[in-house]
Amino acid sequence: MSDLQRVLHIEDDPSIREIVRIALEIVGGLTVKSCASGPEGLVAAEAFAPQFILLDVMMPGMDGPQTLRHLREKPALDEVPIVFMTAKVQPPEIEEYQRMGAAHVITKPFDPMTLPEQVRTIWSQWHATH
Amino acid sequence: MQPTDQLRAQLQQLSDGFRQRLKEQLPALRDQALVLAAEQKPDPQSLEPIRDQLHMLAGSAGTFGFAEVGVQARALEQLANRCLRNGFGETCRQELADGIASLGQLPLGAAPEAPIAGQMMADICENRCIQVLEANADLAMRMSQTLESFGYRVERHANAESLTASLRARQPDALVIDVSPAGPGYPMLDIIAELQSSWTHPMPLIAVSDRDDFDIQIAAVRAGAQGFFTRPVDLAALENRLERCFGSLQNEPFRILVVDDDTALATRFATVLSAAGMLVETVEQPQQLLEHIENFLPDVIVMDVHMPGYSGPELAQMIRLHDNWLRVPILYLSAETDVGRQMAALLKAGDDFITKPISDSALMTTVFSRAQRARLVSRALARDSLTGLLKHADIKEQVELEVERSQRTRLPVSVAMIDIDHFKQVNDRHGHGVGDNVIRALANLLRQRLRKIDRLGRYGGEEFVAVLPNCNTQDAKSILDEIRKAFQALQFSGSEGPFQCTFSAGVSACEAPEWQTEEVLERADAGLYQAKAQGRNRIVAPQQKQGML
Repeated sequence: MSDLQRVLHIEDDPSIREIVRIALEIVGGLTVKSCASGPEGLVAAEAFAPQFILLDVMMPGMDGPQTLRHLREKPALDEVPIVFMTAKVQPPEIEEYQRMGAAHVITKPFDPMTLPEQVRTIWSQWHATH
Repeated sequence: MQPTDQLRAQLQQLSDGFRQRLKEQLPALRDQALVLAAEQKPDPQSLEPIRDQLHMLAGSAGTFGFAEVGVQARALEQLANRCLRNGFGETCRQELADGIASLGQLPLGAAPEAPIAGQMMADICENRCIQVLEANADLAMRMSQTLESFGYRVERHANAESLTASLRARQPDALVIDVSPAGPGYPMLDIIAELQSSWTHPMPLIAVSDRDDFDIQIAAVRAGAQGFFTRPVDLAALENRLERCFGSLQNEPFRILVVDDDTALATRFATVLSAAGMLVETVEQPQQLLEHIENFLPDVIVMDVHMPGYSGPELAQMIRLHDNWLRVPILYLSAETDVGRQMAALLKAGDDFITKPISDSALMTTVFSRAQRARLVSRALARDSLTGLLKHADIKEQVELEVERSQRTRLPVSVAMIDIDHFKQVNDRHGHGVGDNVIRALANLLRQRLRKIDRLGRYGGEEFVAVLPNCNTQDAKSILDEIRKAFQALQFSGSEGPFQCTFSAGVSACEAPEWQTEEVLERADAGLYQAKAQGRNRIVAPQQKQGML
């Protein structure tokens, strides 16, 4: 397992994009590519070659689950864990997201100081089982 | 990691920006809700954008340090959903508008509260935070002392207001609360019930009361109580209950070994099972099967019936040649629907068939239920029922394993033999029930204070054995001495009022320069004997024999 460096973040809310970028880059020392929509994320996923994808569930237009399906069609991303971020916290909803193929679900609100650690934990768990 | 000044400034700037946005968004949202409340025949669809904005606030406000806004927005989002389901009546629209109005009234001061932590799914914290609301200052203090000696962090609250504020800001790991009719916690039960439903994981709640009538107990249960204690409170029993609450929450994930030569299919199964929170390892080469089992220690093995060169039943029979793996269920995966042939395979070895194709949820449920059952059986067989620690034979085996490992790695290992002082008197004076409490309390204390890699067993009645890898005599002695002091400070409730207990321990090790591997347990036992002879309540490490290698 190589080290985690490149994270793709797809989220329509600009302030959440910004705080995730700060949390992961400054606190976590990672490189983040932020995208404002599913289609933008799909384009960026090719060139950026992310090792980890954070995906908002509720987005106008192409929502999180739709974006996930399109991302999963790209063979280059087979090895990349895709993690949903959502304020829906009922266990059935979380199970549903995992059935769709999400590696994990991070619940909002999240703590920006511990987000990088959480991402790294999910990353190593994913690689322990894949 | 400590935030640097630059980082703090950036976070502050973001939170200022968010505050500005709230100042514009909340009044607009309130106006929309008021318009909706006033309409004669409103279109239910017009509520959706309001609900979506509330949802967004519920998810984001806490991250920017406006926890209270987030919590209330979540409650309002749920109200909006109920409103949509229940016919969108005037009352609920009005209620929603009022709620959003008061959301706009919340102070958005210049210094926001600290951001609240998202509830991580695999959050395992070392120091669990227990909130305590107890009117009796003396009991509250003794409770804090006891829980702290078990390694918990305790926050005491003087009144319901301070506890409510704290609960709304952040879910604690557990709550101990006085629910006596005249007590401060009784009126809070409704609030707690409501908060419990908004949290992903329910919070363990322990109720303390001076009465135990039906009404109080049912109110406590509705608020999510997992323990109910009447005064005088047996603090050791209370701690034990807390421990049990946490034990059931933080079970390790089930470990599933998938044996299949079809890589694509194995990957698919692995994805489905790991999505359900199980740890999955796949084996494609049957020759490596035993090695994988040895290293991975699976709870369940899922195996293809037909693989090139070997059949599933052959491999299953091979697994069953090893005593250690008799308990592990083996599930065959097959397109075989011929019942006769399935039976023939099961007669050789194996426990059940999973017929392909199988839906993801059916696969998950089948494997999960097998794993759950296997784990329960395994635990019941290996663990002591009173303390949940390893039994005599298993802890002895651990001693041997760790001493062997120490020989290989040249890292020291210590072994401690621990015995409760004058335990017979406890049983005679207070009865076996109280004696059991003392044993459980020491078991829990040891479990709390020792590391995850340490092994712990109940060796006999009131006798325990601990194995501490990578730890020399000196360190083992000082660790045990800390535990000795903590145990001595515990107050137990007996038939003749509160009493205290102590223990003695002997410590031995396999360490430099002798690396003496023989009779490690016997040497620890000799140390224990010396400790008892020297007056008890102490830790003794006998001198190693000279000249042995």
